[in-house]
Amino acid sequence: SPFPSGRYKPPATETNPALEDPTPDYMNLLGMVFSMCGLMLKLKWCAWIAVYCSFISFANSRSSEDTKQMMSSFMLSISAVVMSYLQTPQPMSPPW
Amino acid sequence: MKNFYIFIAVLFIPWSFSLAKYDEFEDGDDIMEYDDNDFAEFEDVSEDTVTESPQRVITTEDDEEEATIELEGHDENQEDFDDTDTQEGDTESEPYDDEEFEGYEEKPDTSHSKNKDPITIVNVPAHLQNSWESYYMEILMVTGLLAYIMNYIIGKNKNNRLAHAWFNTHRELLESNFALVGDDGTSKEATSTGKLNQENEHIYNLWCSGRVCCEGMLIQLKFLKRQDLLNVLARMMRPASDQVQIKVTMNDEDMDTYVFAVGTRKALVRLQKEMQDLSEFCSDKPKSGAKYGLPDSLAILSEMGEVTEGMMDAKMIHFLTHYADKIDSVQFSDQFSGPKLMQEEGQLTKLPETKKTLLFTFNVPGSGNTSPKDMESLLPLMSMVIYSIDKAKKFRLNREGKQKADKNRARVEENFLKLTHVQRQEAAQSRREEKKRAEKERIMNEEDPEKQRRLEEAALRREQKKLEKKQMKMKQIKVKAM
Repeated sequence: SPFPSGRYKPPATETNPALEDPTPDYMNLLGMVFSMCGLMLKLKWCAWIAVYCSFISFANSRSSEDTKQMMSSFMLSISAVVMSYLQTPQPMSPPW
Repeated sequence: MKNFYIFIAVLFIPWSFSLAKYDEFEDGDDIMEYDDNDFAEFEDVSEDTVTESPQRVITTEDDEEEATIELEGHDENQEDFDDTDTQEGDTESEPYDDEEFEGYEEKPDTSHSKNKDPITIVNVPAHLQNSWESYYMEILMVTGLLAYIMNYIIGKNKNNRLAHAWFNTHRELLESNFALVGDDGTSKEATSTGKLNQENEHIYNLWCSGRVCCEGMLIQLKFLKRQDLLNVLARMMRPASDQVQIKVTMNDEDMDTYVFAVGTRKALVRLQKEMQDLSEFCSDKPKSGAKYGLPDSLAILSEMGEVTEGMMDAKMIHFLTHYADKIDSVQFSDQFSGPKLMQEEGQLTKLPETKKTLLFTFNVPGSGNTSPKDMESLLPLMSMVIYSIDKAKKFRLNREGKQKADKNRARVEENFLKLTHVQRQEAAQSRREEKKRAEKERIMNEEDPEKQRRLEEAALRREQKKLEKKQMKMKQIKVKAM
């Protein structure tokens, strides 16, 4: 074609981190905090919330997101749940 | 002292409660009776023998009394004996003869049953049970996770279907207008991939290039986050639409200098606050477009009246009125640099880079409940985009307009420089101080005293020179003033 074709340039959000959606990062952090709470304070509900957080972080993740980070947060939350149940096999009691 | 007693008394209360609980479980009465029986059985036998003789001796004089005494005595004995019977087996079945007791009535059964404690069935707390039912919270949690995963798969697929429905409808128009349709920037040569570039589960990009007057066009399909259940639930409270955002980068020589926007009032108010160029060049509030026949829902932001006049030709008005419900905002700007960057104080030393851009934001109809047909209905809007590209190339300001535009741009730049003058001065000052400090350090670190002295002298000489220069300047200014 006679007209020069410019190459693809990634949209502004990739170059300017301030414009990116912060949800996956927040959820990741929250997930890790809840995992640690669940493991150390032996609170089952903390561990379950951590699992949910890591799922939500995964669903909202950007393409440039590191899968290692995602997997590690997921594994941490699963291990928090498993450890809580190994230590105290009784079922979780509702907060009400 | 009084408080101490109260404290002790208060401590007794929960302790006594705990004791009471034990009583429930352990039938203390029975145990005590049993304990008594250990010793009582011997007493009972002697009692029997003791009571026997008075019964024989006394006949009918104190019948009632005797009877009652008898009964009571017998009751006790009977209880004790029954208990021993039940608890010790048949070792002492009949230690007494029935004939020994006269006037013995069949009463003990009722009293016996009355005195016996009822069996209470205590509920075992849930956490000590081991049935599946007690794990209902866990089952709830797992069900929630499964629901989340299912929603992820369904949402992801829906977004995918919508994206491809859009692309299939628009492919022809795009391929007839652009040489390069679809590029993800990874291949060495600029060849059409002919495919959408999926950024994540809710954003799809398409880069088109190779057309006269524009450098390129980036289309972003910004879908709702259907793959995230939280988002789905949030959208039930606050409905939102999918959006299609098209950004055309114009060649420098193919667009004149003006800033113009048209769209919904709400969108324009927001953009005027957020966008760098709209806030600087379009100072007035969004005006109604009724003058040009636009519906009330749309408003106009413009740098100057001439631009609005030029932009609002018949075809553009036709597009805007017919598809007003799908248009969120349309922005033509030669000073486009994106949203205002939140920079800290002292960092804003340079104006952000600008590019001549046409930016279109369209709302997909259906407000969330989008179907592939809704995506297809956006095709006429793409025609509007193509038309706008040609229009922007053709439209030129007249001399007056151009002068005004140039003045505006110069004014903005000057304002910016004034604002940052102080910061730039401070930056220069700090740089100078850094240099001085670095030199001083070098001098201090120099071990050789000779070298040290020499460096110090050199620094002093330089300082003196600078002072002289300054004095000269001041003198010159004074002379000029005079």
